[in-house]
Amino acid sequence: MTTVLVVDDSRISRMLSRQFLAQKQPSWTIAEAASGEDAIAQLDGLTPDLVLLDLNMPGMGGLAAVDKIQAKCPTARITLLTANVQDAIQDRAKTLGIGFAAKPITEERIDQIIADFGK
Amino acid sequence: MFQLTELQHDALVEIFNIGVGQAAAAMSRIVSEEVTMSVPEIAFQSRAEVAHTLGAREGRRICAVAQQFSGAFNTEAFLMFPEEKSLEIVRLMVGQSLSLEELSEMEQEAMSEIGNIILNSCMATLANASGKELQGSLPMYRIGTGNDILGESGKQWDGVVMTLKIDFNIERHHIYGYVAFLLDLPALHDLTQYIDSYLAGVTG
Repeated sequence: MTTVLVVDDSRISRMLSRQFLAQKQPSWTIAEAASGEDAIAQLDGLTPDLVLLDLNMPGMGGLAAVDKIQAKCPTARITLLTANVQDAIQDRAKTLGIGFAAKPITEERIDQIIADFGK
Repeated sequence: MFQLTELQHDALVEIFNIGVGQAAAAMSRIVSEEVTMSVPEIAFQSRAEVAHTLGAREGRRICAVAQQFSGAFNTEAFLMFPEEKSLEIVRLMVGQSLSLEELSEMEQEAMSEIGNIILNSCMATLANASGKELQGSLPMYRIGTGNDILGESGKQWDGVVMTLKIDFNIERHHIYGYVAFLLDLPALHDLTQYIDSYLAGVTG
């Protein structure tokens, strides 16, 4: 059973991610967190295989949450899913060894994330 | 009075044009429709004139998503629509899966996210061209006249600001709006340096 944790302060973004993931992978469990802090707290009882992580959130931003998520859940694959498509951010994702996907969240974008996760 | 040389003006429009292209592509993916965007219009105005101009076409309330960017240069960025079009845009974004009640409830968040995507996509082009990073604030959603929207940003500039205004149009749904960037004089000084280094790179 694959579990995905969608971390995004935007409810509409969480909703779109959930909608497309559920369409594509009905057997997957999808959990949601509205902030980096919320995501880390949820990891006490949740072991996600994939974390879709927004960058610009109130409180702890996505990049600051990466280390903490990796420490609690070292096997989770993390993908930044963000509107901030600057090269500097994409380079930082590469350095951290995590994936990068640009918003907007579309069916094609989720297809690509699922395909990358399967590799 | 601050002025750009003809070459600086051309370079600025060109850099923003690329950003606008990216923003149009992002918006088109959000609404699954073709989106056309104009060439950026540059103007130097007082803040009060800007507030008047921004709401003038509508003659009524507009909804705006505002974000501040800082780094290589500082700017306030706005995505604006006529207020009554915002639900329609959200509907185009989420499809038919939500009821009108749910849609209305999510309108503000959805518009903030749309603004976040469009404005970041535009600013990323500028950041990437300069090789420097721009930090964006969280998007703020506002409704009101141009005056209300600019006034709420908390800035009290008396001097001239430069505006870059780009019209966009989702023709099939008769939805139009615009993206605007405001820079005050210190930011213009930084931007001029940024343009000069861009030009030096282009001309070798």
